Amino acid sequence: MTLQQSALPTTMAAARPASRRDKSRLYQEIGMLAPAVILLTIFLIVPFLLSFWTAMTNQPLVPRPTPVRFIGFNNFLRILRDDLFWTSLWNVSRFTLWILPIQCGLAFATALLLHQKLPFRNFFRGLFFLPAITSMVVVCVIWGTLFQYPTGPLNQVIGFLSGGSIQPVDWLGDPDWAMFSIVLLSAWQAYGFQMIVYLAGLQGIPDELYDAARIDGANAFQRFWHVTMPGLRPTHVFVLVITTIQAFKLYTQVAILTQGGPKSSTETVVHYMVRSGFEEQKLGHASAVSVILFLIVLVIALLQRQLLRRYDV
Amino acid sequence: MSDLVLSTAQLEVKRAPSGIGSLRIVQTACILVIALVIVSPLLMLFVASLKDDRFQILADMGSFRAFWVSDPTLSNFMEVGNFSGQLAFGRYLMNSLIILAGTVGFGLVVNSMAGFVLAWGSLRGRALILSLVIALYVIPQESIIMPLVIMVSRAGITDTFAVQIVPWVASPLYIYLFYQFFAQLPKELFEAAQIDGASVFRIYRSIFLPLSLPALATVSILMGIEAWNQYLWPILVTQTDYARPIAVAIATFFGQDSIYWDRAMAASVLMMIPILALYIAFQRWFVSSFVGSAVKG
Repeated sequence: MTLQQSALPTTMAAARPASRRDKSRLYQEIGMLAPAVILLTIFLIVPFLLSFWTAMTNQPLVPRPTPVRFIGFNNFLRILRDDLFWTSLWNVSRFTLWILPIQCGLAFATALLLHQKLPFRNFFRGLFFLPAITSMVVVCVIWGTLFQYPTGPLNQVIGFLSGGSIQPVDWLGDPDWAMFSIVLLSAWQAYGFQMIVYLAGLQGIPDELYDAARIDGANAFQRFWHVTMPGLRPTHVFVLVITTIQAFKLYTQVAILTQGGPKSSTETVVHYMVRSGFEEQKLGHASAVSVILFLIVLVIALLQRQLLRRYDV
Repeated sequence: MSDLVLSTAQLEVKRAPSGIGSLRIVQTACILVIALVIVSPLLMLFVASLKDDRFQILADMGSFRAFWVSDPTLSNFMEVGNFSGQLAFGRYLMNSLIILAGTVGFGLVVNSMAGFVLAWGSLRGRALILSLVIALYVIPQESIIMPLVIMVSRAGITDTFAVQIVPWVASPLYIYLFYQFFAQLPKELFEAAQIDGASVFRIYRSIFLPLSLPALATVSILMGIEAWNQYLWPILVTQTDYARPIAVAIATFFGQDSIYWDRAMAASVLMMIPILALYIAFQRWFVSSFVGSAVKG
């Protein structure tokens, strides 16, 4: 998501000399702004700054008689030496590499199809968006059922389509398949959102560009490659970045369906953080993970800004 | 890849009438296959929640009977719709609705007032506050949740409705969405009212707010979905039934007794109904609000 600052509208009052009315106006403005500023400070800025401080202490979850000690970067060093952390980072990277082509590719293809004047396209658009409004918990109940081993619906469908030649897969129980299974249900859930974004992007490309290309004798593929694709560049950047950030924050599906298993094959950064904070009660350690997560998200967001600027958006 | 080429060819339907028939059939077939993949899991959920026998549900899953129920019954819903006891999903649903209403209600007021002042106020620091709000947007909820848990447990407000509502009322994204909406309204609107002697709050309340229905709808939908689907925060701050939202209740139940498909599914349907009803009623608003949050800015 790009939030760019646009010019502030100015009002005549700003230029007038101060009077009693201006003063009461000022108090009103402060009063209207105050709730948001106070809430953001208490519940966003303070915990954010605290996370940097907590990350450098041995803060436990339950207060102990021994005072909390400042231990510098020890938590970070411990995390960097922890194989499980690297496994979780590798897992979310693997998840990202799977979900980007599956989810965004499918969303893009569907958007191209629905951009045509097909019958009932608004109906389909609404239909494809349904999973996006479905709670992840409900999605987990549905897919947990579909993934049943060995006689779950998914295995039965695959068995039927392959004529029984493909053996049933233990989707969530096999370390080689578990993360891919999480990819499948996540893509199913979130793909409608990307599709809608792509549709909006496609509608933003002016028809004149296609007409001009046609007059220049461009065939369908050339028009796709030289008009549609460049026109969608900011959309692509946005979709890829938002999907990547979401992927690095992967948590709910894994917490409900696999708890990071089997054999840590679905352990993720956030799940690792929550576990070290609440099961092992090491809040300092967990806060250090949260700082690392923030830095990752920040780098991705800055990268997006850079890319969008290059495309002159 | 061939799909993409096919569908771009379709872009010039009006100019090239030859071969459209078969192309359209291929496209429609693609759409129908996608629709099947997207909808059948949801359909299965709804159908299964109306079946009585959980062993039958499991047996039906692999065949077309997963999408058909011969003698629909609401007995599963009777079982999970309680307001106390182990299957108090009726109560959890109420809890979720309270949290949703609280978050959206306060959120609309707080964020729209802030957005309005940032757009039209005369405060000197508002440009700075605006850039700060934009910068804060980058911080993911997941990275502040650890210290936030310490804070609320020190304050002794865990296991309440307030702890699930108040921290998420003010939000950089929604302040920004309101700011952006208000800022694009014409300057004359503000000036005329000001000359008539209306105070800033009056102008916001009686002139700008009634004009901002699209922004109010967008923020309500996005905030509502977010509040409804919260999972990580409530599992950290709720310990008892008192304020536990339905998402956490379903996940806990599903994790413990994953053989009780029927009940888990009925509870899931219970959780989907309010959102689904709103979605069907306001479909256009839903879709455009998600797009608005994405491509604006």
